[in-house]
Amino acid sequence: MLFNILWHENRENDVKSNDMIRTEELTKVFRTDEVETTALHQINLEIKPGEFAAIMGPSGCGKSTLLNILGLLDNPSTGKYYFLNHEVSRYSERQRSRFRKENIGFVFQNFNLIDELSVFANVELPLVYQGINPAERRKKVIHVLEQMAIDHRSKHFPLQLSGGQQQRVAVARALVTNPALILADEPTGNLDSVHGTEVMELLKDLNNKGTTIIMVTHSQRDAEYAGRVIRLLDGQVVTENLKQIKKPELAEVLV
Amino acid sequence: MIKNYLISAWRNIRKQRFYALLNLLGLSLGLSAALFIMLYLHDELQYDRHHAKHEQIYRVNSHFKIGDMDDRFAIAALPIGPSFKLEFPEVIEMTRLTPAEDLLLRPANRDYYERHIFFADSTVFDIFTHDFINGNPKNALNEPNSIVLSASLANKFFGNQNPVGQLIESGLNKPLKVTAVISDLPLNSHMRYEGLVSMLTISEGNAAEFNSFEPNAFWNIGVYTFVLLNENSSLKALEQKFPAFYDKYMKSLGDQINASFLPDLMPLTDIHLHSDYESDFATGNMAYIYIFGAVGLFMLLLAAINYMNMATARSVKRAREVGIRKVAGAQREQLIAQFFTESFLMVFLSALLATALVNALLPDFNELANKSIPYSAIFEPKLIIGIVIILAFTALLSGSYPAMFLSSFKPVTVLRGSLTSSGKSSHLLRRLLVVFQFAIATMLMIGTFVVHEQLQFLKAKDLGFERENRLVLQLQDTTFRNKLEPFRNAILQNPAISHVSNANGIPGQTTMKLVMQLESEEGWNTQAVMLALTDYDYLNTFGIKLIQGRDFDRNMGTDKQEAAIVNEAFIKQFGWENDPLGKKILIGADSKGEGGRPLKVIGVVADYHFQSLHNPIEPYLITMSENPRHLLTISFQADKSNEVIDFVNQQWDLFASGKPFDYKILDQILAENYEAESRINVIFRISTLFTIFIALIGLLGLSSYVAEQKTKEIGIRKILGASIFNLLRMLFAELGLLIGIAFLIAVPLAWWRIQIWLESSFEYHIDLQPDSFILAGLIAFGAGLLTMSFHLIRVINSNPVEAIKYE
Repeated sequence: MLFNILWHENRENDVKSNDMIRTEELTKVFRTDEVETTALHQINLEIKPGEFAAIMGPSGCGKSTLLNILGLLDNPSTGKYYFLNHEVSRYSERQRSRFRKENIGFVFQNFNLIDELSVFANVELPLVYQGINPAERRKKVIHVLEQMAIDHRSKHFPLQLSGGQQQRVAVARALVTNPALILADEPTGNLDSVHGTEVMELLKDLNNKGTTIIMVTHSQRDAEYAGRVIRLLDGQVVTENLKQIKKPELAEVLV
Repeated sequence: MIKNYLISAWRNIRKQRFYALLNLLGLSLGLSAALFIMLYLHDELQYDRHHAKHEQIYRVNSHFKIGDMDDRFAIAALPIGPSFKLEFPEVIEMTRLTPAEDLLLRPANRDYYERHIFFADSTVFDIFTHDFINGNPKNALNEPNSIVLSASLANKFFGNQNPVGQLIESGLNKPLKVTAVISDLPLNSHMRYEGLVSMLTISEGNAAEFNSFEPNAFWNIGVYTFVLLNENSSLKALEQKFPAFYDKYMKSLGDQINASFLPDLMPLTDIHLHSDYESDFATGNMAYIYIFGAVGLFMLLLAAINYMNMATARSVKRAREVGIRKVAGAQREQLIAQFFTESFLMVFLSALLATALVNALLPDFNELANKSIPYSAIFEPKLIIGIVIILAFTALLSGSYPAMFLSSFKPVTVLRGSLTSSGKSSHLLRRLLVVFQFAIATMLMIGTFVVHEQLQFLKAKDLGFERENRLVLQLQDTTFRNKLEPFRNAILQNPAISHVSNANGIPGQTTMKLVMQLESEEGWNTQAVMLALTDYDYLNTFGIKLIQGRDFDRNMGTDKQEAAIVNEAFIKQFGWENDPLGKKILIGADSKGEGGRPLKVIGVVADYHFQSLHNPIEPYLITMSENPRHLLTISFQADKSNEVIDFVNQQWDLFASGKPFDYKILDQILAENYEAESRINVIFRISTLFTIFIALIGLLGLSSYVAEQKTKEIGIRKILGASIFNLLRMLFAELGLLIGIAFLIAVPLAWWRIQIWLESSFEYHIDLQPDSFILAGLIAFGAGLLTMSFHLIRVINSNPVEAIKYE
């Protein structure tokens, strides 16, 4: 079991703290043949369990890159990343995959449901990959679909649903494994305002019940649901407090 | 407009280089395979058509019914030709040919055994068309002892000088005078003679026998007889006269020997492919023509399918273009024309590549197929028309589905970008096409394996006699035959040589069939039976097993005249199972037992394959020859072949006074019986490889499409925690299913067709075993898997973040 050995080695670097997420000087550089782009520059960040954080900033500021790294979809170029007290910045894809499927749920702007699978099967998928038995899976899926008030649609296919309904399915899928953290990447970006509000209420509700949420958003309205706003510009955290930001400045940044 | 179509077609091809390349490769392979097969078929179908009057030339075949035997021969009796000319006004001319078996020719004091010299009536040039380099067709064979040489034989004998007028010493009584030189016969002549000797050379001395119209002469077949019919004569009307002809010339003797006879006329151009007559030179087989025709068509179809498949697979990418063109005012017809322009351009480019490929590979193909097809054959008008039809067909077929499908897109839908996949129906179609391709590839693979197995079976089958370590010498020189006994004694001194036998036939080569009367309770029973004329050591030399009675015995003085050994089939067929020994046989007697040579059965041998495995084991009779015959077989110790050949060669030189030492190994002679099948096997194997290759090219294109389509899904699944194994299983499950369905379709069809082939072509064949089928299935699956992996592994290993990026 290669994984276990590495786990122990890494443990020496692990730091006990109350943070769910802590980054130290997190930097991500993209290189092509000719250009070197620094997407993230020395980000230091802590997220406590039960927090609802929004990451904001203009296009190209590094929001998604940060979210990918926090979601263990990508590794940083340099710096350290502690997730539940494990230093994970040098994990291999296999290790990240293992960690990811047990701890993190994802919600995307474009839902990323699989068109060929029914609602039920889409939500069930993470449980299949965790190796949970079919009866157990069924119970969990039905429960979470009920929770998201989408259970009447469980036999439908994604393309037969409205955008809001699709996003509720996506949230259900993120929740079904009961993850410690939900990462939402512009969850309302493809929705009209009614459906957008619906989804945001849902996330807020989850957060109230104890789920940690990190959300990337363009929308000031959405950000207001979060307890904390992390503002990025050109790969750096510029400010971290919603209350300190004045409306005019915000408008400028949002262009 | 057309220019615009061409420009955008060319740009599209260039833009999608990978797919264009795959298409080009697939189409040009398919086209070149189709071209090769077309050339092959054309060549096969052109047999003997180079004779200007080929439509009026017929061969007179003989159809005998004697006793239980119903036999058809390609040869006829000597008087048939002349009597036909005499009796039937439809017959303008006739000519007879008969091979001068391994004639010894000695031009300029060098000895050659020539295997392709025929005796021929002087009228041969009135019927057949030959290109005369020297000499005159009118009188070339008018005199006895005249010989006409082919260009290559003339060159072999006399170099570049004009040989007309030269004398050639020969195994015949008098020297032969060269009277003419003709161009070599095309390879697609069913009878390829390299020299013709005037028939008068052999008829001169025994004119009475040659010109006899006695009933006896009509029952003794031996010459290939061709007639030239009047242009307007009706074949049917002519054939209706045959019964009367029989009554007039042959019935009297026929009734005496309980036999009947009818000639039949076979068009010259049918001989190669349609003849299954005994003693024929024909090597073609119409069944193979159909099989190869189908294979060629299949390959084209597969290549066209690849094109359709990839074109529709790319449709999402093309949809936007279609939308924009429609918004810009394109009519549907114009878009259809646009897509057809692309397929025509693609097929045209492939055709260029294919003709280059055919040009490069034609020599190898000719060697494999034993043909001499020139590259220029492609430019024959008939083939050009065929090629144009094939190209148009391929382009139309390839372009049809994409043209109809892509042009049907609604601009609003495609521009809004909501055309997410290319539709359920096209998805189903693509699956069907993959199934179709793999079913064909699997069938061909199964066919290849079974043909191979059958050939191995033929090579290894226990024939009932010893086939290995037997040397066969040709004794054409009659003076040598007189020294046979001392020669035999000399070579038997070598301890490695165990037996020597002289006979007129060896197992595996057909000998002669004679009418004979067999003893029965109701009197004499007339039958036609195959027989060999041998000496005392025949059974021992070939290791033929005696199961009753005894072998010929030097101590029994009467054996040489009256002993006969028969096979099991003989005693079964004629009801002699209980008591065969001592039974009487009369050779050449009439049905009352008058005349003929009396024989008595002294032994019975276990059935062995005295003919090739194409034929069943018939009744067979072995009796002793009074004079030495033309074949000498020497059996020797297993590992001594080189030593024995050297030794026999030395002894030969001592006895044969300078005649060339001409030998073969029995195994080689037997293998020649299956040369046609071996050749077919090779061509079959190559076709199969081509087909699989084309199918895989298609799969490669398809898998690249699937990879593209599934990139996002794979990304999502990876994010949700799918392992590589999970993903592989998911992606290959469908392919496995499709190949599985193809396999289930291929198996019964292949089984059915192969069973027909085995049963119709071979009296002795393998039983179909599942292993060939399973192997073909596994290869199809393995190759499919490997091809798919090429693209999918890359996708699976890619970073999922890339895959789910915002669209």
